[in-house]
Amino acid sequence: MTRIGRQLSIGKTDNTSDQRTPRKRLRLIPTDVRESFVPVIPAKAVQRQNEWDLTRIAQNRPRAEGSPIEVKGTVRNENGTLLRGALIEIWNANHYGRYRHVEDHSGLKLDENFFGIGRVITDEYGNYRFWTISPGAYLARPDIGRWRPKHIHLSISCGSSRLITQMYFPNEPNNASDPMAVLMGDSFDRNLGKPYETIIPEVDRGYDFDIVVGGKNAIFFE
Amino acid sequence: MTNKQQPILLLPTNEDTTGPYFPTYFSDESYEDLTQIHSGVIAGPTGQHIILRGSVLDRNGKLANGVLLEFWQANAKGIYRNPSSENHPDLDPWFDGYGRLRSTTGEYTYRTILPGASKDRAPNITVTIFSDGINRIVTQIFFANQKANEIDPLLKTLSDQDRKRLTAKYEGPSPDGADVYKLDIIMAGDNETPFFDDFLS
Ligand SMILES: [Fe+2]
Repeated sequence: MTRIGRQLSIGKTDNTSDQRTPRKRLRLIPTDVRESFVPVIPAKAVQRQNEWDLTRIAQNRPRAEGSPIEVKGTVRNENGTLLRGALIEIWNANHYGRYRHVEDHSGLKLDENFFGIGRVITDEYGNYRFWTISPGAYLARPDIGRWRPKHIHLSISCGSSRLITQMYFPNEPNNASDPMAVLMGDSFDRNLGKPYETIIPEVDRGYDFDIVVGGKNAIFFE
Repeated sequence: MTNKQQPILLLPTNEDTTGPYFPTYFSDESYEDLTQIHSGVIAGPTGQHIILRGSVLDRNGKLANGVLLEFWQANAKGIYRNPSSENHPDLDPWFDGYGRLRSTTGEYTYRTILPGASKDRAPNITVTIFSDGINRIVTQIFFANQKANEIDPLLKTLSDQDRKRLTAKYEGPSPDGADVYKLDIIMAGDNETPFFDDFLS
């Protein structure tokens, strides 16, 4: 069987995807140079105090507006190897759908008690956990009324395992029209947090989100 | 790649677009300049300092603002710091080879050392682009006037035109003695940069 590189798909109604998606088929990497294409990220992840709790900008500060939630899970590669000491960089919009990023010009409301950026590192069992505010959906294409569904951005770095993804929420009305979710097809389910009831009084609800780094993110070094 | 086929046990989480708001808060200067460990410490890798710069452009020739670039390369002696080189005598204690920067405008300036030729390869830097609108795309950048470019097994698979699209032009030395190389990366369109598939093949 002759293998050929992928032809990448363009997200429907996503202008940036149209402008930035390569039109030529990807070239297959010759086998003997494959290793040179695999970055190994040095284990020097840092986190500041309390970054696991995005519901407050610092310890003993007031809670941000909206519904506080817990997100937890494991990080593994597709062979099932637990990724220990993996850096997870997290960012999500506030209750109103606004990021505290200087380039977010949406004009939506900022929350003086919400930073929306944090980092966690997986433990020796590959587990992670953080708290945040359930993010608001935001209007991505005002001209056609397309919303970005509620989502949390996650960037995972661990040796040669690298993944940037988003966790979505089940049964959200805007999930079905999201261009990237559409491209995922049935496997979109893997990017949904699974809700669970929690007895922790500090959060309204928990979401299990087990992350598997693999597929097009080749595992070259275990 | 290997004969031992590992059984796939788990279904991978889908990659997704980075979106426009990757936090600059996560920036780390030591990932944007690999020539020094920290400005207050006498330590740094062996090798010729270089500045690799250019623009990342979209299909309309516009700057691709907000892109996150990750870089990966061998040290001056051509050795990658990875699990297969763990006890290699030519590892440089002051060089990991991994860098990362987010470009607000789409223009980038990355400071590092000129990678050595690894095995039968020409010196090169692997670049991964994460951005809004796409999942990651990957390529390798080469350097003008390197003899080994003519025999590089990756460059050999490409047309003359595509080879040019991956070869950074030499622009002369910077005031502080780094060699400056320039390459524009064109994400889509007529003059598109060749990108490579990330399948383990
Ligand atoms: Fe977002």
